[in-house]
Amino acid sequence: MTRLTRRHFGLGCAAATLGCARSSVPAGRKSATLWFTYGGRNRKVLEELVLRFNESQRDYFVVSVFQGDYFEGLAKLRTAIAAKAGPTFSHVVGEVVPYLAEAGVLEPLDGYPGAGELGVIESLGQSGSWISGADRPLVCLPFNRSTPIAYVNATLFGRKGLRPPKTWAELLQVAKALTEREGDRTTQFGFGCPIDWWFWTALVGQAGGKVIEDDGRPSLGDQAGVEAIELWKRMVHQDRSMKPPPGRDYNAWEQTNQDFLSGRTAMIWTSTAFLKYLEDNAPFPVLAAPLPAGRKRAVPTGGTHWVMLKSAPAEEKQVAWEFLRFMHLPAQAMHWATSTGYMPVTRGAVEQLKQDGYYEKHPNDRVAVEQLSVALAWPWSTELFRIQREIVQPRLEQAVLGGQDARDVIASARALAKRAAP
Amino acid sequence: MNGLLPRHKRDPYWLLLPTVALLAVFFFYPLVDAVRLSLHEWDLLTEPRYVGLGNYRALIESGELWHALVTTLTFSVVVVAGSMLLGLGLALALNRDTAFAAFVRGAVFSAYVISWVSVALLWLWVLDSDAGALTAILRSVGLPTKNWLGDPNIALYSLAGVTIWKIAGYSMVLFLAGLQDIPRALYEAAALDGAGKFARFWNVTWPLLRPTTAFVATTSLIVSFQVFDVVRVMTQGGPVKSTTVFVYAIYEQVFLNLRVGRASALVVVFFGLLLVLTALQLYAWRKKGAT
Repeated sequence: MTRLTRRHFGLGCAAATLGCARSSVPAGRKSATLWFTYGGRNRKVLEELVLRFNESQRDYFVVSVFQGDYFEGLAKLRTAIAAKAGPTFSHVVGEVVPYLAEAGVLEPLDGYPGAGELGVIESLGQSGSWISGADRPLVCLPFNRSTPIAYVNATLFGRKGLRPPKTWAELLQVAKALTEREGDRTTQFGFGCPIDWWFWTALVGQAGGKVIEDDGRPSLGDQAGVEAIELWKRMVHQDRSMKPPPGRDYNAWEQTNQDFLSGRTAMIWTSTAFLKYLEDNAPFPVLAAPLPAGRKRAVPTGGTHWVMLKSAPAEEKQVAWEFLRFMHLPAQAMHWATSTGYMPVTRGAVEQLKQDGYYEKHPNDRVAVEQLSVALAWPWSTELFRIQREIVQPRLEQAVLGGQDARDVIASARALAKRAAP
Repeated sequence: MNGLLPRHKRDPYWLLLPTVALLAVFFFYPLVDAVRLSLHEWDLLTEPRYVGLGNYRALIESGELWHALVTTLTFSVVVVAGSMLLGLGLALALNRDTAFAAFVRGAVFSAYVISWVSVALLWLWVLDSDAGALTAILRSVGLPTKNWLGDPNIALYSLAGVTIWKIAGYSMVLFLAGLQDIPRALYEAAALDGAGKFARFWNVTWPLLRPTTAFVATTSLIVSFQVFDVVRVMTQGGPVKSTTVFVYAIYEQVFLNLRVGRASALVVVFFGLLLVLTALQLYAWRKKGAT
């Protein structure tokens, strides 16, 4: 009998480790690794779709790995790229796509078979999500795309005979009418919304401004940027009809949802992504409505795009591409959208849903799709996410929560943004 | 005595080698690399670009460094003072041999062994400005309530309160050990001399608890400087950056703003700050030892 040496032991351990890591890939199939950043319901739906892909054919296999929230996932992705240990593909928030593309880490997708025939809805894909997005190599495909929409507690609105506001003036009136107080204490807020860059850009667009001008100058909306903040300030401090949730980022968003579900807030603005979650968990009928118009109607798009890493082996990229094509087929795009609340990303899926009478049965789902006609395109800027995180976001809080003058805040943010913009 | 001498002069160094290697890999190398990276602009993806002291200048000019420093020190002062006072108070109140005191000691200490994230989630619910338990209690007795986590003037103190609640049990145990080390004879002698309760505390308990106090102060200072979980879970550095303590600022720079250079510059300054504080503490202890 051969003596067990340290070398044998080491080899055994390595084999066991490799075996565990790859045990889920059936023999003879080419595989690719997908890093995803959803929890809860969205994770379940995505994993169902991955399973559906893996069972739909015998050549390819996708291994999906959960990597925390969007920002954690992005941090891990960057670290993994630097360590040359990245996955084959992942999905990232739109704000960082230009940054990753310009860093040269994203695989151009134009050359893959059928890339031009996916039927992507323009305002959700690269060509419409970014200004001049169509003039660049295709580096991303839409996945979970969203816009902010208004969610209305139909019971509270019905009790007062109110309907969702269509203009800023109506928003102010309705929010006031639905705010209830006991002495100095507010027992019910008319309106709730995270003090967040995404909703602010919606307000800037509605006030007739642009965060970044067509010539690349970060104006932060100029006067429109000020008006957007002043609307919030008025509702929070003067009318006391709006509840700014504590926390930042997705914690503030979650708090906004909880306030709505518990009936503490009669109407909220948040992502269409929460449609099914809010419908399923609210003890009252939920009505979705488009955001109101200021001088005009406008909404930003949000959510994530699929990206493939250039550094991945060609064989894995082929598997990833097959999966992406599969996800763009009407059946998958529809399943994803109707199970989560995100938008169907292909024309084929929308047509199919219309034919099936889905939107008649689920009118709330139609709101975001119809709102796409007023969607704003983002500038293709590598620095936009830093302008957002480092310059604008803290100042929005300073103005709305800290009581600073909106004009001063926008002026100082604009000066810093000009220095940051390349 | 000769038996204790090493056979070869180099032998002690071999024994030190594992520790030195660990320190070199996990402490000295990262530290030197942090200093190097703090002089570069780097996002982990593109090539690092040498910017000299540009990262430090940017942190100073934006006020971020000063803000993180003041926020962290304010937090530390409140946490150290609070956990010491509460720990000592609890130790004095529970330093008795009854089943009830033992139960309360266990209950208070249990907070210390719960994970930081669980504590943060629990307090997120307690401190909810509308539906939280604290708000409900204050309202029921007719006291005014605050937006504990949403008001930029209050949020940092709310987090400090949560931290004190979590670590006070540990301070209490240390103080209890210190109290039980004080010989009963000293109290009896003081009582014979006519010392009242307060005089006995001031002249016997407090001086003899001084080493324990120094230890509690040091450990709570370390905990307060390392605070991250409660900030990450409860406020994410907000509102209006009012809870952006040093460690969170470092996290934010590297993971959210993708600025490894600035994060490294913060690390270097933070290291320098801790070095100065440690040196001051060592100096104070040695001086006390000499007298």
